[in-house]
Amino acid sequence: MKTLSALTLLAMLIFANAQEHPRLPVNDKKVPAGTPDMREIETALKAALPATRKATVCLELGQGSGSGVIISAEGLILTAAHVTGGVGKEITAILADGSKVKCESLGLNSETDCAMAKILDKGPFPFVEVDRDDLSKLGDWVFSLGHSGGYDKDRGAGVRIGRLVKIADSTVQSDCTLIGGDSGGPLFDLHGRLIGIHSRVGSNLQQNMHVPIREFVRSWDQMMKSEFMGEGPFAKKPVKGSGFLGVATEDAKDGKVRVTKVGRESAAEKAEMKIGDAIIRIDGKDITNKDAMQKILKDKAAEDKLSIVVLRDGKEIELKVVLTER
Amino acid sequence: MKAHSFFALFFTITTAVQAFDTLESEFRTNGNMMHAVVTRAQQSLQEFSAVIYEGRKEAGYGIVASEEGYILGKLSELKPLKEIKIRVGDQEFSPVALVAEDVRWDVALLKIDAKGLKPAVFAETSDIGQGSWVVANGATSRSERRPMVGILSANFREIRVEGGAVLGIELKEDKEKIIVGNLPEISGAFKAGIRQGDIIVSLGGKKMKNRAAIAEFMKDRRVGEKLEVSYIRDGKEQKAEVELAGRADTYGIEKSRNDTMSGDVSKRRSGFPRVLQHDVQGTSKTVGGPLVDLDGKCIGMNIARANRAESFAIPVEELREISQRLLEEARKK
Repeated sequence: MKTLSALTLLAMLIFANAQEHPRLPVNDKKVPAGTPDMREIETALKAALPATRKATVCLELGQGSGSGVIISAEGLILTAAHVTGGVGKEITAILADGSKVKCESLGLNSETDCAMAKILDKGPFPFVEVDRDDLSKLGDWVFSLGHSGGYDKDRGAGVRIGRLVKIADSTVQSDCTLIGGDSGGPLFDLHGRLIGIHSRVGSNLQQNMHVPIREFVRSWDQMMKSEFMGEGPFAKKPVKGSGFLGVATEDAKDGKVRVTKVGRESAAEKAEMKIGDAIIRIDGKDITNKDAMQKILKDKAAEDKLSIVVLRDGKEIELKVVLTER
Repeated sequence: MKAHSFFALFFTITTAVQAFDTLESEFRTNGNMMHAVVTRAQQSLQEFSAVIYEGRKEAGYGIVASEEGYILGKLSELKPLKEIKIRVGDQEFSPVALVAEDVRWDVALLKIDAKGLKPAVFAETSDIGQGSWVVANGATSRSERRPMVGILSANFREIRVEGGAVLGIELKEDKEKIIVGNLPEISGAFKAGIRQGDIIVSLGGKKMKNRAAIAEFMKDRRVGEKLEVSYIRDGKEQKAEVELAGRADTYGIEKSRNDTMSGDVSKRRSGFPRVLQHDVQGTSKTVGGPLVDLDGKCIGMNIARANRAESFAIPVEELREISQRLLEEARKK
């Protein structure tokens, strides 16, 4: 009985959602019947455009840029795994009005190209509704937004129209044309509900692939916990032991691990570690000898972040270190 | 646009075997079944768009500007063509004469020997809002224009020329003199009579001290602008009027990763004072014709296929002015 009532509740919820945004009749036609049907699509799209555009962001990290979409007032962002490229990366998001906010990537699924990021600045931010109920069907009219080729304030995010032309398990295909820079950007139904995230294209203009929202729902909790999922082609997993701090140390007579050398342009130098510093804690764990330190470091990968507390002139100083490639 | 590299989308399709449902191609956004949906737009394309051929090959489109046979087209695509023929409706016309041009907007006015053509019906405004349906020429048959649909995609804006406007001269500096080095024959400077070895004195009446000063001065210049260049040859100061061209037009475009996924784009796709952006999926051979709304009114002229996701049109407000100006110029001759 319990299961049944839960199912009923779910059905009611879907029904309520569907009632709030009744399915557009034109979506159930093989092809629009004429100008009134075309106007129905246009009117819905124009109504959905301002809010969806406000929530569409350009994501810049390193030398590249992609797109993303904000889905909560606090600033949770959905994007593509091949845009964030990893967990805990620093990203700058450019909002529609050109203002920049700091973000950090959360988890990702390297097999399906799903990824999350969160804005670190304080909200509220403009956001869109996510179609968690998976209400879209083959042939539905949809629109895509994205910062094609990078952020361009004069232009804004370009909007493109199309239909869902192919639906597979982990991919949906539309004929909304995408290009570099759109990656991670949103695909919407005509009510402005998020139904997919731009992932990749084929050489044919019809081949524009999106990650369906159901794949995000499937990986949701793990992504929120900043997990790196899968071993797919969309992001490379950090290799344990590839992280490099770049110092030489000795076990000093006072029972401390003392820094004797700091490598040029090493992670330690960038964090302003000095010769003579005594390393006393890494990520909250006490360090009493070199072996204890090595044990922690050998599980770390390039770009991992560490909190290292050193003793310098009798004072404890916390250094934020980002490991480099060995 | 900024010059950093972008996350390119993956260029391959997942080959994993998956069950999937597919929408038949005729029902897709630009499938055959859509032609009957936009009948008024198609009728307009049929009446006032011109198909331009080089020999038997389709080379572009045009807009009928007057009933006595004046046709607007994309200048940079048309100029190099030999043996132009034009079809309006199912009638074919030749010879075709180029009678006036606007380099800044890249618009040509052509003349054919015709009477009683239906000129384009211009809309009041092109400001019909992003997300509005628009229709343009796709493929064509002898008698029938085939419509392709899309929507207005982005803000009206200027498209600054890729790489900036250039004189088309390689400059050398020697003992505080700026000396003209290599210059391609298609460059504005060569056409104005400047040659290798000339010494540049001033641009637009301003003395130029060195190459850096010239680079700074050129930053704010526009394609199509005419610039007075003073130079010394054989000890004598001379003047030339140089028409500026885009860097890409003079030296060619370096293909970006995004270009490699865009297919056949227009050679000249930048340096327009104001454009409407839309997502009708054309090629370099589908521009030059009208962009119409669902009522079949002309809201602009397709002037460039920029990349996979972006097409540009001259808004009807400017198009009307360009058309009138070129027609007056041609009729005076």
